[in-house]
Amino acid sequence: MSEAQPFLRARGVARRFGARTALEPTDLDVLGGEALALVGPNGAGKSTLLAILAGALAASAGAVERVDGAHVGWVPQQPAYYDRLSARENLELFARLEGESDPGASAARLLERFDLPRERHPSATLSVGNRQRLNLAVALLGDPRVLLLDEPSAALDPGQRRRLWETVGALRDGGGAVVFATQNLEELERYADRAAVLQRGRLVFAGSVEEYEAVHVEEVFS
Amino acid sequence: MLGKDLRVLRRSPLLLGVLVAYPLLVAGLVGLVAGYASAKPRVALVDEDRLPATVAVGGRSFRINDAISEVGKNVHLIRLSPGDAARELRTGRVVATLTIPPGFLGDLRSGLHAPSLIFQTTHGGIAPRVTQQVQALVYGLNRELQSAYVGTDLHYVELILHGGRVSFAGQRYDVLGLDRMNRLLGRLPPSARVARIRDFARIAAIALGQTGNQLASTASPIGLERARESSRSSLLSAQVQAYALGLTITFLALLLAAGALATERDENAIGRLSRGLVSLGELVWAKVALAAVVALALGLAIAVVFGAIVQAGGVVGGEPWSRLPLLALGLLLAGASLGALGSLLGALAREARTASLVAVLVVMPIVFLGLVPREVVPAAGYVSDALPFAHAVRYFSSSLYDASPWATVGRELAWLVGLGAVFGVGARLATRRLLS
Repeated sequence: MSEAQPFLRARGVARRFGARTALEPTDLDVLGGEALALVGPNGAGKSTLLAILAGALAASAGAVERVDGAHVGWVPQQPAYYDRLSARENLELFARLEGESDPGASAARLLERFDLPRERHPSATLSVGNRQRLNLAVALLGDPRVLLLDEPSAALDPGQRRRLWETVGALRDGGGAVVFATQNLEELERYADRAAVLQRGRLVFAGSVEEYEAVHVEEVFS
Repeated sequence: MLGKDLRVLRRSPLLLGVLVAYPLLVAGLVGLVAGYASAKPRVALVDEDRLPATVAVGGRSFRINDAISEVGKNVHLIRLSPGDAARELRTGRVVATLTIPPGFLGDLRSGLHAPSLIFQTTHGGIAPRVTQQVQALVYGLNRELQSAYVGTDLHYVELILHGGRVSFAGQRYDVLGLDRMNRLLGRLPPSARVARIRDFARIAAIALGQTGNQLASTASPIGLERARESSRSSLLSAQVQAYALGLTITFLALLLAAGALATERDENAIGRLSRGLVSLGELVWAKVALAAVVALALGLAIAVVFGAIVQAGGVVGGEPWSRLPLLALGLLLAGASLGALGSLLGALAREARTASLVAVLVVMPIVFLGLVPREVVPAAGYVSDALPFAHAVRYFSSSLYDASPWATVGRELAWLVGLGAVFGVGARLATRRLLS
């Protein structure tokens, strides 16, 4: 696994918000064919690191290299789409922006796959679960090789959660890379190949799930 | 992104309705205020000479109150005591005092000195306009007096021409008159001397016969006749149309661009977009384009409705329909320039609600600065030059109604493009704030 090609290479990435340091200089490789779990308590810097890896947030220092221009899908914790557009319209809009050749067909495919409503109701009226599924569906536009998920299963029911991890597993098994932030130790054990632990903005551990369980599981959330 | 923004806007008909109705309402209120501003100012009249109700001047009697009310159409004259007038002037309840000093009527009757009225007003504000109106009042009084003097003079001329009885300095006289003199001379035996005197009387009668017109034209070399009302009412004036357009698109463009840009952050979409899907520059450009498109559509709609009212009302001159393409260009560029300013506000405010509030708060000063005449407050003119509203209004007015609009249109277009570029660059730089 360690010999796999990294899709993303973060070197010394850090982020400050005014006087507050959200993320200290961090090195991290996101490798193909594996799922990396980011764990840590609230405010540890997981979402900041994911947003920097996704390119949605500029790093105050350091840089993220996208090897071979790997396409990255990003599922932020808060849904990132337009509330006044319907699910279909959001998917078509982002498909167009992603450069999909047939935005309508791509939108229809994802609506079907995630069982999203076809009506023209604004997305703001969707249930919490549907909003999260739409958030995930938008991230899958453009056929990403890397998927970054920020606590993706928090609002999903068991069935939806199962389908989420099936999607994640299919991407990983197909040689893609998955990074997900979680505070759910069961998800970490079941779906992650590696773990990276953040505490107070600092990366304190990066290694296999087995190593993590042996050493850190007690102290991370203490 | 522009299509998305237009679709979102279409989904908010109430918001769009308010965005259109509010500035039109404000434009109407501004029109009312402008109308109030042109209403008769209150001027205190202080009569220290205690003028009688009827004044005999130049051998002719006329009612001074009637004369004042006739000439005071431009100002609202209020009779006050000297003390009251001074107090009201200090408190601003009257904008000026006009005092008839003691001895005024005596000087007027004697003709030895030209008497003066004493005028006192505050500085700044509408003082220049009030001064003009009081000058008009004095001008009107002078005309009344001139008319009286001319009438008296003509009475004497009539006496010289036709003869009659007249009282002068307490004595009564029987004036022979040129006509009667001519008849008397006709009864004398003809001679060269008589013929010469009759010839003089004939020429003098002809010359004196012209005296009336000569006196009238000397008193008022240039007269002013008011033609029948046939122009536009003030509500349909070119200026009101230009201000209504300017105010509406300023309000719309600022609010839409500021709100739309800040909403990208509120909806968390800017993070997704900034991952290479849409650059920050393109994002700002989309908001500028949104403001420009909406300004064009609504501006043209207002112009068409305004023109239809003008046409239906049979107003002289009608609406200059052929100028609509030129107006459209101005609407587009003014909307873009204001959209760039709105985008800057939206980026600085970061949140849609804050951005909307800031935009609303900013609109009014921008508009009122543009309404203040540069001649009255030069500083307001300089500040207004740095904002698109005044340039847009001047462009609209010129593009619709100037006989040769090109110089003004070109200058204002250059201003709008320049300001739009400056605000656009500022907005692009400030948009980075939305990512943090």
